[in-house]
Amino acid sequence: MPYLGGEETVRELRRALSNPNVQSDQLRYRNTILKVIRAMSQGVDMSGLFSEMVKACATVDVVQKKLVYVFLCSYAALNPELSLLVINTLRKDCQDPNPMVRSLALRNMTNLRLPSLVEYVEQPLAAGLRDRAACVRRVAVLGWAKLHNLQASSEIDAAVVNELYSLLRDPDPVVMVNCLRALEEILKDEGGVAINKPITHHLLNRLKECDIWGQCQVLRVLQRYRPQSEDELFDILSLLDASLVSPHPPIMAATLSLFLSLCSGQPAVSLAALERVRGPLLAACGSGSREMRFTALCHIQLLLRSIPGLMGAHYKRFFCGYAEPAYIKQRKMQVLVELVNDENVAMLLDELKGYCTDVNAETAQAAITAIGRIGRSYSDRCLEILTGLLGLKQDHITSAVVQTMRDLVWVCPQCSDTVCFALEGCEETLQDSQGRQALLWLLGVYGERVSSAPYTLEVFIDGVRSEASLGVKMELLTATMRLFLCRPAETQDMLGRLLHYCIEEETDMCVRDQALLYYRLLHCGIEETRKVLQGRRSDPSLGVLIGRPAEPVSQWARSFNTLEPLRQGSIETESVSRGSPEHTMFDPKPNADLSNTLDCSRIEKVHSGKEDFVWMEECVRCPTIPRCSPQSLQAAMQLVNIQTLAFTPPQTLPWRVYLYTHTCLDDAPHSTLILGELLYTGEEPQKAEVHKDDKALKGFLSILTTVLHTLSSERA
Amino acid sequence: MIHSLFLINHSGDIFLEKHWKSVISRSVCDYFFEVKEKAVDPENVPPVLQTPHHYLISIYRGKLFFLSVVQTEVPPLFVIEFLHRVADTFQDYFGECSEGVIKDNLVTVYELLEEMLDNGFPLATESNVLKEMIRPPNILRSVVNTLTGGSNVGDTLPTGQLSNVPWRRAGVKYTNNEAYFDVVEEIDAILDKSGTTVFAEIQGVVEACVRLTGMPDLTLSFMNPRLLDDMSFHPCVRFKRWESERVLSFIPPDGNFTLMTYHVSSQNLVAIPVYVKQNINFFETGSCGRLDITIGPKQNMGKTVEGLMVTIHMPKVVLSANLTATQGNYTYDLTTKVLVWDIGKLNPQKLPNLRGSLSMQAGAPKPEENPSLNIDLKIQQLAISGLKVSRLDMYGEKYKPFKGVKYLTKAGKFQVRT
Repeated sequence: MPYLGGEETVRELRRALSNPNVQSDQLRYRNTILKVIRAMSQGVDMSGLFSEMVKACATVDVVQKKLVYVFLCSYAALNPELSLLVINTLRKDCQDPNPMVRSLALRNMTNLRLPSLVEYVEQPLAAGLRDRAACVRRVAVLGWAKLHNLQASSEIDAAVVNELYSLLRDPDPVVMVNCLRALEEILKDEGGVAINKPITHHLLNRLKECDIWGQCQVLRVLQRYRPQSEDELFDILSLLDASLVSPHPPIMAATLSLFLSLCSGQPAVSLAALERVRGPLLAACGSGSREMRFTALCHIQLLLRSIPGLMGAHYKRFFCGYAEPAYIKQRKMQVLVELVNDENVAMLLDELKGYCTDVNAETAQAAITAIGRIGRSYSDRCLEILTGLLGLKQDHITSAVVQTMRDLVWVCPQCSDTVCFALEGCEETLQDSQGRQALLWLLGVYGERVSSAPYTLEVFIDGVRSEASLGVKMELLTATMRLFLCRPAETQDMLGRLLHYCIEEETDMCVRDQALLYYRLLHCGIEETRKVLQGRRSDPSLGVLIGRPAEPVSQWARSFNTLEPLRQGSIETESVSRGSPEHTMFDPKPNADLSNTLDCSRIEKVHSGKEDFVWMEECVRCPTIPRCSPQSLQAAMQLVNIQTLAFTPPQTLPWRVYLYTHTCLDDAPHSTLILGELLYTGEEPQKAEVHKDDKALKGFLSILTTVLHTLSSERA
Repeated sequence: MIHSLFLINHSGDIFLEKHWKSVISRSVCDYFFEVKEKAVDPENVPPVLQTPHHYLISIYRGKLFFLSVVQTEVPPLFVIEFLHRVADTFQDYFGECSEGVIKDNLVTVYELLEEMLDNGFPLATESNVLKEMIRPPNILRSVVNTLTGGSNVGDTLPTGQLSNVPWRRAGVKYTNNEAYFDVVEEIDAILDKSGTTVFAEIQGVVEACVRLTGMPDLTLSFMNPRLLDDMSFHPCVRFKRWESERVLSFIPPDGNFTLMTYHVSSQNLVAIPVYVKQNINFFETGSCGRLDITIGPKQNMGKTVEGLMVTIHMPKVVLSANLTATQGNYTYDLTTKVLVWDIGKLNPQKLPNLRGSLSMQAGAPKPEENPSLNIDLKIQQLAISGLKVSRLDMYGEKYKPFKGVKYLTKAGKFQVRT
């Protein structure tokens, strides 16, 4: 170990430990041992003192014993032979009348973790399971798990497993929970403890006796249980209701997790449970511990995926304090974006605007990105703020704003005028490559509307020799090509220079190949070039897609109360660093033709399997060819609250779309779920659905038909 | 579950490690140090880090990192809560939770960690149970131990572990039986430029100090329990009775403990005790600025505001401050750029005012954002939410205890934007 004077210390301590005068004076002996431990915890290698420490173990002083055990457990693996000497003392301690000494000995015996000692440990462990003191049984139970870890390959002693199962009924709740933990580890290959009905009910009844750690463990294990009937399920749920609003966040989270796994077939119950935990979760968000606040925020993000309106009224809870750590501020902003509505948008934007000038550059960028996200629904207000930020002339802010504008303009092309106007002059403050790439992309695409575009590009082209970033060079090539198409007179000369440089002098293969490609493309004629470079524009109807549909709870239920939601940016993967939006969006190609004549007739109704659902087929004829893309179909469907589940790829036959929706009629006692398949076989589209009540179905059909008609007439 | 624990100080030295399963090399912390280096401010280190073979889950308390190493998927709230419990236990045992204190009490720390976790699972974390197994150090005992060679380990079987009330040991005896409760409320608020409340919330806590003989069963009732939101109770409180009758019924642990914490979050209920009139300007030219702050009482229910203090984190370009205060005195720390104005008691007849000029670095651009004001204050004998204890009853024992309730309001994260 690289510690100055380490060897000297070891030698000195060895002398002291083997000095008979020290050994006879209990206090001095203990203090010397304490020095060893101190040095050890500073990282000095003390393994040389092992044999001296083994001797120190034989004492009546419990504190000294504990200290020696700390030492032995750290270095036992390095000295397996010498460790054998300790076993005798330990086994003797296991007979001690004081239960604390017994449990201490038992615990350390198993903590040595030496495979060679297993045979000596098994007997005292078995006795420990039957000890009359609960604290010894607690240790013994976990001891078996440690022993099993040590020799994972060896087969499991069925007698021990049986004994552990029977100890699940131990009067001490900690022994019970430890049994669960031990069995989970020992039976890992078989999938853990067998959770059957008697065990489940036994555990549930004793849940209240356990401490919070024990409760979490029990709740976690119970996730594997599947109730046999609906009645049983609801009995269990009502037992768990109190824990669901527990003031301890770990219990609340574990209970909700269990709820979600038990109710996987009952979405309505799951949603009700989510409503119920809102209070405790919000409380955890205001907890004194910042780590707790962070974790609660991450979990709230999960919940919002299914109930976007869950926290709507509490948006102020997610305002950032001045002194909060950056990671909390960034998460809070992600939550705030989800909570925007017509009433609070002004307040929220005002708040976010304040964060844009945060000292921490990452937080400032996150705030700007958040404003951009809100801009998809409230573009005017947001663009005003973003434009205002450009006036600050701060390098990192300008970069983030330009990137945000690029992303926004792709989704909301109607913003392009304002953006083009704002772009003038901001190239001077841009330093980092991401920001410059975004600027170049905007100049390329909207070059005809930014009067200074050619001059800005010229500055870039003049400086291309000293440009370090590959991305900027590639973007510069594309942008110059695009600008050339709309303003040839001003750009021709500089394009020539740029291509010449990139082909003749550039060392990077990617840039050179790209330049060669453009050069050859130009040879094919201007029309061909235009087709390649300006082929894709964003579809304005994409805007409707932004309001993320509520996901079913099952999508994320498994990752609730795990580390998954805490990973960096797990939800908002749209990070700031990435290329042009067109590379990430998929291609909105026109779809295969649908059918020719419109006529809505029911062919067949009702194949009834059970009472509460109906299966039927329906044929819709459309008059003209609705050349609609999956996106615009999805957008149109969403306007009438029909969600699309899946598409087959365009231009395949038969082409299918899966749809679902619910109805919530005021007079109906329950809501109806309608699942639909839209099938196009080449001749006529038809749909089939599974659902409950006739009235709702009729409504659904008429709406769906209307949508299809509208779409087809639009494209006609 | 929890594989290892490392305690790391402010400057990044590991000063204590404890492994509950096999030993993991310290080098696992290098990932953590890398992130810490990048984060600049230790507060900004995210609590969960992923390394190729482990997860590192850490909390930052009292300038110390408690870093746990975890090998399998775990519920994050569980681990974070546990780490806080470890820190709370140190605090409880040694009075504070700092590097020096932990190093001084290394033996007790190792003993505690050994008892709190076994094989990575939490075992005994209730402070009363722990204290019976491992006695907290105090000066008198260490003197006695030195003379007699005694140890600070309990030599009897901890009775609490088998009793029905795990948080209270049997056979407690006092000559003076007393039960005191402190209602402490902290106001977290953000006020904007014009003085309107952007956000306000009260975080309250009821601390108890109960020294009663035997097994007393207490009932504490409030005048206005419906004020409270999001309560969190000590495990001794019977939750069912709170839900049905809104009274706290419990068999108390022995000694000091936190009976409950709560929030009051509906904004119209949160009174803001002071108002701030402020005017901070930085001029475009001349590299200077003006500052003028006045503080006056607002809703303080007729009590005096004490311990008033204003802290301002100035922008980096502010070199010095030349101010005059009508009350209290101010200091400006040149290195940290923190202006502290210590006012003391607020006199409603003569409002304290601080005004003067700020000089800035020549040629530096005008700061884009005005600094926020952080306000610290105290009001004795008042719970700002209006919460009042109406009575405390004791059942199960015959004697009459002394009872007392104190109220205190403090500023928590109280911030005024400018």
